[in-house]
Amino acid sequence: MPANTKYLNPSFWPRFSKITAAIIGGFIVSILFHLAIASWFDHVNVIITSTYSSLILWVGLMIMAFLAKSGWKIWGIYILISIILAIVIFYGKALNPLV
Amino acid sequence: MNKRTYNILFHLHTVSGIVISVALYVIFFTGSFAFFRDEIANWERGHTVEIAEEIQLNFDETFQEMSNEKSLYGRDIELKHYYNEQNIGVNLGASKDTLLSKEKAARSFYYLNTKDKTTTDYVSSYSLGEFLYRLHFFAQLPHPFGYYLSGFVAFFFLFALITGIVVHWDKIISNFYVFRPMTKLKTVWTDAHTALGVIGFPFQFIYAVTGTFFMLKVLLIAPTALALYDGDDKKLYEDLEYTHPEFEFQNTPLKSPVSINALVQQVKENWKGFKVNEVHIFNYGDTGMHVSVSGNLDYKDKINGYGYTIFNAADNSIHSVKDPTKKTSYLDTVKGIFYRLHLGDYGGYGLRIISFILGLIGCFVILSGVLIWLTARNKKNVPPKKKKFNEAVVRYYLAICLSLYPITALSFVLVQVINPAGMSLLYKFYFIGWLLITIFFIIKKDNYLTNKYTLLSGSLIGLTIPLVNGFCTGNWIWVSYAKGYDQVLFIDAFWIVLSIVGLLIVGKLNVNEKNKKSKN
Repeated sequence: MPANTKYLNPSFWPRFSKITAAIIGGFIVSILFHLAIASWFDHVNVIITSTYSSLILWVGLMIMAFLAKSGWKIWGIYILISIILAIVIFYGKALNPLV
Repeated sequence: MNKRTYNILFHLHTVSGIVISVALYVIFFTGSFAFFRDEIANWERGHTVEIAEEIQLNFDETFQEMSNEKSLYGRDIELKHYYNEQNIGVNLGASKDTLLSKEKAARSFYYLNTKDKTTTDYVSSYSLGEFLYRLHFFAQLPHPFGYYLSGFVAFFFLFALITGIVVHWDKIISNFYVFRPMTKLKTVWTDAHTALGVIGFPFQFIYAVTGTFFMLKVLLIAPTALALYDGDDKKLYEDLEYTHPEFEFQNTPLKSPVSINALVQQVKENWKGFKVNEVHIFNYGDTGMHVSVSGNLDYKDKINGYGYTIFNAADNSIHSVKDPTKKTSYLDTVKGIFYRLHLGDYGGYGLRIISFILGLIGCFVILSGVLIWLTARNKKNVPPKKKKFNEAVVRYYLAICLSLYPITALSFVLVQVINPAGMSLLYKFYFIGWLLITIFFIIKKDNYLTNKYTLLSGSLIGLTIPLVNGFCTGNWIWVSYAKGYDQVLFIDAFWIVLSIVGLLIVGKLNVNEKNKKSKN
């Protein structure tokens, strides 16, 4: 104690990419994940569930991002997942319109 | 767990914890007091509320009196029980009667005292209970900055909780009973931090999740409204059943008046133990008039017993019903349980006292975490400049956090000496007082002294609170006991117990100090 620095990122860009991937990327993936489910299944129950599960998933994704080897790589993965989820939402919305 | 994962998570726990520590301490400390928000408000006013969670009012008489002052015709009127106070909220919507002048038809909101029928606005009914409750989510900062700040603090608290429990996971059982108070200071803090952290984990986890939801729900709801509802958030709130239905204004007055009392009575007779906490009237006095009577079953019978009946007043028929005695929907369960779990208001005083203690344990875990942070960095290989900086950080942190206790106690004295203290005096007194005490202890440069004297002064002031209350209002403990003023009695007794516990700890500190001195 404190944490051994050889496992941590001392320089700016690796740190920056990980922190942004964790907080912003994690948030986007978590929200899109819940929207994707809501667009296909019982949307009211999924939305009200997301009020707590999206927070917990967000924290999980934050931890994943910090554990990743490279910040840019995890950004890439999160963006890729987001695109796939966005396509799922697009078709889900077209087939089960709410408005 | 491999070494890399362990060290990264450990670092995340440390950094997120130290960044939010002061804000989180304020949230926990004032939040613990906020469990007794309603008691504090009633204590301050010398009021008592016999029946909780329900509107106690002669509705017909109230509407009669209201209509003497203002035309009620064509308005949406909502009477709502917010807190266990004598005050209920009255929301008068704008009249839809186009013949009225704009001034006469304007909307308004005020509080109505159900006992003496006086009315007050928000600022003039501001109480210390409300102040502490709102400080708990930084509502005194400009809106919505304070809400978001507290929301993000709660969210990073969740992050710190989860990383903390994962880091500690391998030792969770073996270290559960480990407490080594006689060894060096760092192990004392570590043992206390981990043991109490693990015990408090489920409690704190629930508060972190629900708290984040309350303050950051915009973040969660906005994307849903945009993506799934094409920006139609009204439809979303309708789907989540957060809104009342809408009824059209017919512009023809009802022939005979409607007795709201009778409708409320009908609902109460229908469901045993149903407590009406909201009466919402659509288009008052119009043929389009509807009356919604909603509330909850007694928490003793059912924790999620939300229900309502909407009456069509013109033909005295029932428009729609949600039966609280039937199986609660998943939607209502989630919506209700968030508040019940966070407010801890479903189990009487016992539950709230336990929650208060767990809240203070939370405060202790935060401070012990900060102290671990310092002692772990108090090593020979740390450059002296850095060491000085670390020490200053902790000195400031401790001074800010620990000063809350005496200034809170002092505010309880203030609101009895100057009663009602009012919003602006309360703000000035609390924040300036807090600042002065903090500066005093920062200048003193002694964490041990800060700890001891905040505890001592807070407890001594705390002991005087029931006396000051007795002198100023005549509500001595035995008087409020005899009169059955439960809330007043509770706060007086609460401060006596809290102060005695505080003084016992100070006594213990003194004994330890003497032992140390005699050893040297």
